[in-house]
Amino acid sequence: MPEITVERLSKSFGQEQALKNISFSVHDKEFLTLLGPSGCGKTTTLMSIAGFQRPDEGLISCGDRTFFDRAAKVYLKAEDRNLGMVFQSYAIWPHLTVFGNVAFPLRIRRMKKDALRRRVLETLDLVEMGDYARRYPHELSGGQQQRVALARALVYAPAVLLLDEPFSNLDAKLRERARTWLKHLQAELGLTTLFVTHDQDEALSLSDRIVVMDEGSVLQIGTPEDIYRRPATRFVAEFLGHCNILPARVATATSSGTTGLVLHGNGKPITLSGGDRAAGDEVQLAVRPEAVELTSDESASGENTYRAELRSVSFLGDHYVYELGIDGLALTVTDTRLFVGPAVTVRIPPSACRVLPS
Amino acid sequence: MSSVSYAPAHGARVRRLVPETGAQAAIWAVVLVCVLAPVLPLVYASVQSKPIYAAGRVFTLAPYRQLFTDPAFWTAALNTLEFAAITTASSVVLGGSFAVLCSRTDVYGRRAYSRLFIAPIVLPPLGVILGWNALYGPGGYAHDFVNQTLHIPLNLTSVPGMAVLGTAVAVPVVFLVCQATLSGADSSLENAARSTGAPPLSVLGRITVPMLRPALLNAGLLVFTLSIESLGIPLVLGSPQGHDFIASYLFNTWSSAFTPDPPVVSAGATVLLACACALLLLRSKLLGDQARFVSVGGRSGPAGGVQLGTWLRWVLGAILGVYLLATAFAPIAALALSSVVSELTPLIAPWHLLTLGNWWEIAHGTFAHSILNTVEIAVVGGLLTTLVVALATAVAQRSRFRLRRSLPFMLLFPRAIPGIIIGIGFFWTFLLVNPPGGALRNSIWGIMLALSIRSITLAYFVMSSAFGTVSESMDHAARAAGASWWTSTTRIAFPILKPALYASFILLFISILNDYDPALFLVTPGHEIMGVTMLDAEQQGTIGPVAALAMVQVAITILAIAVGARLFAAQARGKRNA
Repeated sequence: MPEITVERLSKSFGQEQALKNISFSVHDKEFLTLLGPSGCGKTTTLMSIAGFQRPDEGLISCGDRTFFDRAAKVYLKAEDRNLGMVFQSYAIWPHLTVFGNVAFPLRIRRMKKDALRRRVLETLDLVEMGDYARRYPHELSGGQQQRVALARALVYAPAVLLLDEPFSNLDAKLRERARTWLKHLQAELGLTTLFVTHDQDEALSLSDRIVVMDEGSVLQIGTPEDIYRRPATRFVAEFLGHCNILPARVATATSSGTTGLVLHGNGKPITLSGGDRAAGDEVQLAVRPEAVELTSDESASGENTYRAELRSVSFLGDHYVYELGIDGLALTVTDTRLFVGPAVTVRIPPSACRVLPS
Repeated sequence: MSSVSYAPAHGARVRRLVPETGAQAAIWAVVLVCVLAPVLPLVYASVQSKPIYAAGRVFTLAPYRQLFTDPAFWTAALNTLEFAAITTASSVVLGGSFAVLCSRTDVYGRRAYSRLFIAPIVLPPLGVILGWNALYGPGGYAHDFVNQTLHIPLNLTSVPGMAVLGTAVAVPVVFLVCQATLSGADSSLENAARSTGAPPLSVLGRITVPMLRPALLNAGLLVFTLSIESLGIPLVLGSPQGHDFIASYLFNTWSSAFTPDPPVVSAGATVLLACACALLLLRSKLLGDQARFVSVGGRSGPAGGVQLGTWLRWVLGAILGVYLLATAFAPIAALALSSVVSELTPLIAPWHLLTLGNWWEIAHGTFAHSILNTVEIAVVGGLLTTLVVALATAVAQRSRFRLRRSLPFMLLFPRAIPGIIIGIGFFWTFLLVNPPGGALRNSIWGIMLALSIRSITLAYFVMSSAFGTVSESMDHAARAAGASWWTSTTRIAFPILKPALYASFILLFISILNDYDPALFLVTPGHEIMGVTMLDAEQQGTIGPVAALAMVQVAITILAIAVGARLFAAQARGKRNA
């Protein structure tokens, strides 16, 4: 399957600039996710690739076919792009049966009757909906409708599969199952897939790579681990999972692979690995709540170890969330163990701190 | 998970039979021609010295000069204004009060009344006029009872008398508009007033009625516009006594001029068209400004009913009942009765005069012929108009066609064209554009075209709101699967919209069946339709067969509604059982 390339894409709605110079590419057989809050431009990007929105500037191509090129005045109509698309609402046609829905793309391609029947049933088996061919859409559950939508998008072997928040109408339990199932199917068939979501869990669990977007711009592109562990901006750090943002000033420049800083708010020293900063630089440190170590040992001491006041605890099933105060500096920490008492000892491992650009 | 191989479907290229932009441009052009056809030749004919088929014509404003110096025109204009003013004022007061009573109080029988008040909208307008004439007109069955026993000085042939009938015809329109607003308005606004301690009646006066103001204005302007173009009421009632309106003045000048087809009539029609357009523009401007003040909540709470008290409940309920009986049911009953008697008179009991002669008469000759013509026109016109408007709406709402934004305006415009203007306009168009004008003029299809164009707006109302309920992603899904605009419109959108297409067809069938104004100018011997035949026969004093013909119109209308209701039921059942 060919790869999709998006270059310097821009789009405005009146005064509002929905897309600002977006560039990225989806590699062959890759599962790429556009992730961001609502209004970040991810759906506009997807609709531009699908051909339902016309960008103002830029270039979109799929393999050796150019979909859109402003400079060369190329604009391929949606129906000529040979993409498979699953809509947020599924858009299952209510007047056709499950079979009729899935057969439609083949009918307009004038496939012979026998071959068409075989192909539709094969595809319905693939999405485990073979027994429902004669049903009408209103007789299906949300999860089943979603599978029919997927079968309809796959049946004509499109170059690329586009998914617009396909799980947002499912309940939490079903969503998790559908996610696993889609990932298997995608890997097995080797589908080049572009997925749009605002749900970070979905993005992390499904994607080969993630494109994080906000306010019409791409903030970071990388593997899920990369983006989670090494966020490029404060927005990325806070959008994916919880994150403590600690403002600090560089005290000593890098020496022996570590940097010494002073935390604003309580004036405590903190050391982190790596870093490439001059003394006096103002920085922001990103610290994940689960990376912080807690002990009840009052006498523990050493690098980045502080006594903290335990302000509140909440129980979330498989872990606890602690709101702590280190001499007035607020810190959120998660741990599977329960700590009680007015105070705990906190250690922030130097490798767990990441410096964000101020 | 199955392990089916994922081989590409062969022949992935799709052949396109209908070029997208070509099809859309053709639909746009058809609508443009339909809308302009009755208007342009009319305006042209109004500035010519002779009818446009005559030789030696020159450009002149003389027709307008002649029109404005004719005292009869000014009398007709004053009559029209008086009629429209009385009709508008009284129908807004009555229709608004009835709507508030039925939807915001516990008046007796309010649920039944909510439907019964709207029902007269589908009654054939000519049938209602003839029914009123048979009941309350000079020599009518109840004329003496009303005037002498009840001491109500009702003279239907005077301008105020005609306005009483005009009001009865217009009240359902006002009622419908107000009821729609009231049921859409958030009743928590009223509940909020009550929770602050306001008594129910003061809530009605201070909150409910002021909230209705935009709806009342809207309905009032609509009724006023419809009133200044009325033709049937003066033609049947006022004209014989010398009380003409503009429309009947033009019609009488047209049909009794020394030289046929005088330009002065075109000039008068152009003036009327300008007035109607100006009123329509005024209405959209006022409503555009008013829309900001309309509060329509998402989910409204339980409708806050004002408790009237036992006594008032019954009295008001009885008044509503008497009103409906007197204005809608009694006239139709009188019509039904006069269709089965040799003469309807209070002097002899009707059962002594029973006869089937009237029905036997309309089963033959011109009468029977005109029934068949009308049904034929209504079926074909309804189908064609529904199809064209459905396609045009798809271009307007579901395409990237460059000129698509002009379509809604073009589809709404026929609403502003008075019926007689469509009639005179097409008369000239058929003369100017020949072929096919001559062929259309000498068959029933010319009349069909005129009546269909008049009903375009109705079809657009149905189709545009229906398209609004179908998510655009249905179309997008088809396009993504490789379907062209034409394929996704005809194979996805239209099948989903089947109920709306049926509804549009039924509405257009009824509207074309009962319409007659434009046909008065286009009818040629042998190609009559029911309305024209009825007016002709009525003016020659034939009462019984005309009543029977009107009853046929009522019966076909009710039959069409019943068929429509069954179609809907079948659709709903099919959806459930499928």
